[in-house]
Parts: sequence; C-alpha cells; structure tokens
Amino acid sequence: MLAFLQVVIAGLVTGSLYGLLALGIVLIYRTTGVLNFAYGAIAALCTGFCFILITGPHLNFWLALVLTLLFALVIGVILERGFARPVLHTPVFTKAIATLALALVLETIGLAIWPQLASPQHFLTPFEGKALNLHGLYFSAIDLVILVVTALLMLGLHLFLSRTRQGIAMRAMADNLAATRLMGASVGRIFLVVWALSALVAALCGVLLASQQEMVSLQFMDPVLLLAFVGAVLGGLDSLPGALIGGILIGLADNILGFVLAGHTLGPLNISDPGIRETLIFGGFVLVLLFRPQGLWGRALLRRV
Amino acid sequence: MSETATTSLLDIRGLTVRFGGLVAINALDLHISEGEIFALVGPNGAGKTTALNCISGLIKPSAGSIQFAGQELLTQPAYKRAALGIGRTFQHVQLFTSMSVLDNVLTAQHAQLRAGILTGILPFGPSKREDARARAHARETLALLGLTQYAEQPAGTLPFGVQKLVGVARALVLRPRLVLLDEPAAGVPPPEMDELAHKLRAWRDEIGTALLLIEHNMPLVQAVSDRVCVLDYGSKLAEGEPQTVLSDPAVLEAYLGRAASQQMTGQTPTQEVSHAEN
Amino acid sequence: MASKHAREQELASLDSVQPGESRASLLQRLSTWRIGLAGLVGIILVALLPTIYDQIFGFSSGFELHNSVTMIAILAIAALAQNVLTGTAAQPSLGNAAFFGVSAYILTWLVSDLNQPFWVGIIVAVLASAALGIIVGGPALRISGAHLAIATLGLVVIAGALLNLWDTTAGRQNYDLSNIPDFLTDDHALYYFVAAILVIVIFLVYHLLRARVGRAWIALRDDETAAEAFGINLTKYKVQAFVISAALTGLAGALWATWATTASSSMSSLDQTIAFLTMIIVGGLGSISGSILGAIFVGFLPILLGQLPSPLALGSVQLQVSTLTTGVYGLLLLLALIFFPSGLSSLGGIGSNLVRRVNKRGGTQ
Repeated sequence: MLAFLQVVIAGLVTGSLYGLLALGIVLIYRTTGVLNFAYGAIAALCTGFCFILITGPHLNFWLALVLTLLFALVIGVILERGFARPVLHTPVFTKAIATLALALVLETIGLAIWPQLASPQHFLTPFEGKALNLHGLYFSAIDLVILVVTALLMLGLHLFLSRTRQGIAMRAMADNLAATRLMGASVGRIFLVVWALSALVAALCGVLLASQQEMVSLQFMDPVLLLAFVGAVLGGLDSLPGALIGGILIGLADNILGFVLAGHTLGPLNISDPGIRETLIFGGFVLVLLFRPQGLWGRALLRRV
Repeated sequence: MSETATTSLLDIRGLTVRFGGLVAINALDLHISEGEIFALVGPNGAGKTTALNCISGLIKPSAGSIQFAGQELLTQPAYKRAALGIGRTFQHVQLFTSMSVLDNVLTAQHAQLRAGILTGILPFGPSKREDARARAHARETLALLGLTQYAEQPAGTLPFGVQKLVGVARALVLRPRLVLLDEPAAGVPPPEMDELAHKLRAWRDEIGTALLLIEHNMPLVQAVSDRVCVLDYGSKLAEGEPQTVLSDPAVLEAYLGRAASQQMTGQTPTQEVSHAEN
Repeated sequence: MASKHAREQELASLDSVQPGESRASLLQRLSTWRIGLAGLVGIILVALLPTIYDQIFGFSSGFELHNSVTMIAILAIAALAQNVLTGTAAQPSLGNAAFFGVSAYILTWLVSDLNQPFWVGIIVAVLASAALGIIVGGPALRISGAHLAIATLGLVVIAGALLNLWDTTAGRQNYDLSNIPDFLTDDHALYYFVAAILVIVIFLVYHLLRARVGRAWIALRDDETAAEAFGINLTKYKVQAFVISAALTGLAGALWATWATTASSSMSSLDQTIAFLTMIIVGGLGSISGSILGAIFVGFLPILLGQLPSPLALGSVQLQVSTLTTGVYGLLLLLALIFFPSGLSSLGGIGSNLVRRVNKRGGTQ
C-alpha cells in the first residue's frame, strides 16, 4: 500500500511537470493558434543557460534561477518578434512545421554556444539528497518544490487571466482576434506577453525537471514534450486548468502503469517494457478522445449551420 | 385549402425542433405545391432557417414528418437529399472557394454522377465521359445565369453578388424540383431588387422548380411569391397570398415594426421608435 | 432535355475555337497540351536521370544514386499519400508513419521469414495498410483538428513501440529483408523500378484529383456543410481518403524496406511523421508538384548539407559545419515557410501568372 502511495506521489510530481509544459503549450495555442513544437527546445535552452551560470561563474543556484527566468523573458520577446511575427499570417499547418524548424535552429544554436550540453551533464542543485519522511512516505525536496511551484503558478496564472486587464485581453483574443483588435487592445503587446510568459513557464519547467533528474542536456526535454502535448490535448487544448490536470493524469498513468506492470510477463511478452506502457497510455488517450472528441475540458466543436 | 388543384410537393406536418429547453419550431404544418414560389418570413429567431435546415437534413427535428414528392425525408441522411431533387443556397453563400466557378457547378452535380475511385484514376472511360457531359451541363447553367465569363475564375475571388449567383447556379444545376433559398436578397442593393424578382420568376418558369425562400425583404416577397407564411417563435402566425398576409395590420405591426408596417400600407412612417426589424 | 445528338453537337462545338471566343480559353486548351508535354519531358528526365546524376555528382560517395535519388523517389510517394489525405481532403492526420513502418515489417516477415514471393509480399503489405487505413479513418470521423493530429501521432508511437517490441522479443536490432529478387539488388535497376512506380502513382493521383472523388475531397475541405447539401457522403469520402493514403504510404514503406534491405521500428516514429508533414507543407498542400518538391527538399537538402567540408573555412573563421547542418536545414526550412507560406509549388503559380500577364498585354482581350 505504501509503495502504491509512493508511486502516486511520483505520478503527481511527474504529472505536474507535464502539466506545466501543457500549460505553456495551451497558453500559446489559445491566444495565437500556434502549436508550439519548439517548446521543449526553449525549455532546454533556458535550462542550459542556468547550468552554465552554475558551473561557469559558479553562481548561487537561486541567483542563477532568477537570471535564467529573466533570460527566458528575453528569449520569449526575441522569439515573438523574430519568429512569431513573420509566421503570423501563414496557415495553421505551416505555423506548426515552422515551430519544428525553430526547434532545430534553437537546438543547433545551443550546441554551438555550449557544446558540452550535447551529452547529459550533472545538474547540481541545493535540493540534492534532501528528503522528507512522513510515516514511511518519502518526499524528496525537489518533489515538494515541484508540487508547490506548480500550485503557485496555476494560482498566479488564474489570477492574472481573470483579474488583470492584460489577462482578460488575452482570453478575449483567444476567442475572437478581430473583435479584440477593434476594442483597442494592443494585440502586439499581448502576443509579446504571451510568448514571454510561456517562455518563463518553459524555463521553470526545464529547471525543475533537470533538478529532479539531476541531469541536463540539450535534448533532455524531448521525451517529455510529446507527453505534455498529449496531456494538453486530453485537457482539451482549451482551458488552462484542463491542461494541468491532463498533464497530471498522464504523469499518474505513466507511473502507476510502470509500477503495476513491473517485472511481469504475458507469455513470451515482457510487458514491463516501456513500449507497452507507452502503448497503453496512448491507447487510453485515443479512447478518451473517441468518447469525448473535444478533450475532457474542451468546448464541444460545433458545426455552424 | 384544396390540395387537389395543384400537386403537393413538400408536406411538412407537425414539425417540432427543440434545442435543449428551447422550442425553435412548434408543430409546424406547411405545404408547398409543384412550381410554387413560397416565402417563409418572420423575425429573427422565428425558426425559418431551422426549418430550412430540417428540410436539408442539417438539423434533426424532435418530432414531425417532412414528405417530399411522397417520400419521407427525415429517414434520409443529408447527403441523399440532393439526389431526391432538392437544391439549396446558403445565407453566406459557402462556395467551394478553392475551385473555379465551373468546378463548383460541376461538383454540385455529384449526386447524379457515379464514378468512384477505380474509374476516377483512369484518364479515359466512364468517369471522364460523364464528367464531360456534366461540364457541358454546368456551362449551360452558367449561361442561363449570365455567368459564362466567370467560369474559369477561382470562386473565392469574385465579388459577393457574383458569388451569390454562383450559389444559385449550384442549386439549380440538377434542375431540382424544389430549391431552398436562404435570404436571396441579402447584400443586393435596392435598385437591383426588381431584377432579382424577375430572375426568380424566370428560373421558376424555365426550370419548373418550386422555390422556398426565407426572406426579410418584404417588397421582394410581395413581388415574387405565390404564397407567404409568417412564422413567429416557431409557430405559424399566418399563411396565404402575400397581399392578404402582408397587409394584415396585426401581422405587420407585431412583427415588422410600426414604421415598416406603415410603409407597406402606404402611410408615411411616424416618428415613433419602431420595433427592431432584426 | 436536349437529345443525345444535340448534346454531342454541343460537345463537338466546344472542342473547336468559336469565332469571337476569348483568347483566354484557347490558352486553357493549350495548357492541357502543355501538361501532357510536361509529363512527357518529365518521364524522359526520369529515365535519363541516373546518367546525368552520375556525371554531376559522381565525385562523392555520399551522393550515390542509390543513397539519394531512389530514396527521394520513395519519399515522394509517401508525400503524395500524405498530400491526398491532408492537403486535398484536409484531414489533419499524422498517422501515416504507422503504415510506413507496419507495411515494411509485413513485407519483411512474408518474404524473409515465410519465404513468400516478393510480389506477394508487396501486394499483401499494401492491402494490409489499406485495411489499417480504415481503422485509423474511423476515429477521424469523430475527432478533428489538432486533437486528431495528436491522436494519430499517438497511433504512430504505439505502432513504433509494438514493432520495436517485436524486434526485442525476436532478439534483433532491425528486421533485415532477405530474399529480395536479384534484379532489385542492382542500384540502377532499383532506381528504375521505384521511378516507374512513382510515375504511375503520379499519373493515378493526378487523374483521381480531377475526377468526381477528388472534387468531393476538395469540396469537403472547403465547406463540409455545402458538400453534404450537394450529395457528398462525408463519411464515405473521408474513409476513402484514409484508405488511399494508407495504401500509398504502405507502398512507400515496402519500397523503403527494399531499398534499405531492412525494416526498422524508427520508420513508425515522430521523426518520420515530421518528415512526411514537412514535405507537404514545404511543397504545397494539395499539389502534386508540391509533393515532389517537398520530397526533394526534405530528402536531398540534408544530404547536400552533409557533404559540405567540415570544418569550413570562411576567411579567418572556421565553422564546424557538421554540428550545424540540422540548424542550417531548420533555418532554410523556416525561410521557405515564411517566404512561401503556400509551399514551393506556388512558384509555379507565380510563373503562370507572369505568363498570363504577358499574354494579356500581347493579346486581344
């Protein structure tokens, strides 16, 4: 029983990471219609920056983190001006492939500036080795940090989107871009805020993941990104809480399935193989969409007649 | 009302449409005869487009029956109704914008063509032959509507008025027995209204098709319809010849607004605030 | 209704130039001849390509005909398949890589393990892909848009994982294809074989897109509601698009396994899906020439970049090109998308617009 609870906790933690990424993905998608496949690369680049600050000038972790978040904001602005603007008026599919191209470019820039990140490097944090033991349940320091940060970020985003003018304008833009323009909202500024904000979330997520895995490389976000997308779509690509919960569900499924299937075999088939786990997660995902095509929290897509 | 004088083409009985708790159409009875021009009017939200969509098959009614030339429509999926002889236009035209005008009218004949994948991949044979015939027929229809010069142009690049005509060409190309026209006067400037009325009658006379119009434009309705039905909140308010129905002061005042109703009856509009016409 | 005779007269009159007929439609009739001519030239080029190619690129082993042109031809078939589904019929399905991989494995299994004739293997692989296409097409009727894209991507991951599992259980890295007919082991022969198949596929797809089925696909892409109102059975045509696309991708997958002499589970992967999608976006959605151009871009450009000397000396700067090739490819792709948002095939449109404008100036309009 204890072991199972441990697994659930691990699932919540991993799920929170997926959820955070999904959050950033849905943020950009809802306001700009872009499915940002470069999101993992952005996160990796920012995390790489943090790593360099820690290992190069040996900065204090927290200082490095703050600088990284600032770096992320700058990256967000640069990407909005240099990437999002030019592709703004291209069709939707073109924008999606453009983000893939962007991912390649970002990864290569990272490799050129920091060639040591081509292979996994140890990511040193003050959380290493620290843990909390509650009645036999083991919470590592970083796990707690991840849970707390996720909750705070979710709350912060909610307040931002519902209470501030910028936030409300962002939500309006997601529903109707033309109308928002006519109402005088500066669409350009909102795009800027969206990209900067989502870059921030990406950087945060990257640093948290690297802290948890105690490892960073330029490609370390790749396996996570796909599952984050699945979580986002599961949530409906429409709502931010949906994205977070979708990500958490995927994280839970991933960990619980891993635990349940571990070491078992079905005849000659080794079902603890991660491939089987992947198959089950994706299979479940497709099944959910079959019953609810708009995702768990998405708005039903209506055909106007 | 005697139904033996002219053949009844469309018989709607007890049509009811509910959206959640809202009753959009309430036990509607409507009968349209062969070759008749019939107008369905009423304020927005009265259920006119809903009724049209029921006939097209885009909306499934909660109760009632729609018989077309003796056949029950509601058991037929939407895509089968074109083959039965029902054509339609759309309020927002909804052309196939990446195709040329000619191809739009060619595609509109889909229901009467038969080629599939196996015949389609060949550069010769039954598929190409029937397409050639259909193309010729499409050109005929375009000529009928004065659209020949636009045949090769992409449908999406044309001015709105021309697009509307292309929409009509699509609706008429299979020479249907009933054409559903969703606000044909929308976007047509007042000087051209007479011409539109003339065209509607001409199409009916040349093809022998019945027209069911949804319209807000009362002068057009008066000029062109054989019969009018007024809907309000999903129920039939009045039905009969346009002159009678549309000059009934109660109908006019309640549903068209006092200023407009006074226009219809020839009085000068007063300075009162009229009910919104929309 | 006009009699058959009158109708034939009508058709006959349309074939000849009528007095007073505008110059524009005469040009249109010439343009069909132009297409036929272009096709003929294309076929001649395809036949002569190996000789020309070796003359130009014979100096480098990386540019071997076998390694590039044959592969690009196979990718072109896959691009055509993706374009029929996503470009013409507008189904945002990213699941084709699954058929790519599964078909390769079925071929290899039948030919290497069950010792079936190669031709049987290919036909069964293609038919199996078509059948799987129905299975993938089904959910597509309920799910749409980005949700469908990610869901079908999930199917690719599942297929890849299952194929990989098969490999692991059988104790192998990849599934090697043996018992290929002798004549196909020769580079040039394989090229002609694949090129011939490509030409046939282009021919069939070209006609299909202009036939009733193709028009139905375009109609349902442009406006589903209107399409239904004019008699188009949306379900039937969506499923047909999936089946044709799956069959063609299955063909490409079987040919790929023949070319690489092996089937690998990475054929059903995210990377492969990205390649398929990039080809049709860069080339142009719904365009046959776009599929070819896209295949050339995605297939050839990386090879071209990989042949640049590394380190490359630009004045006093030394560039480690080998690490930069993916970045340069990404940058070129980005630029292509920004400047040609409708695809490289739109160049043809610009070209014919120029021709039209020149003609207008010179003709009597």
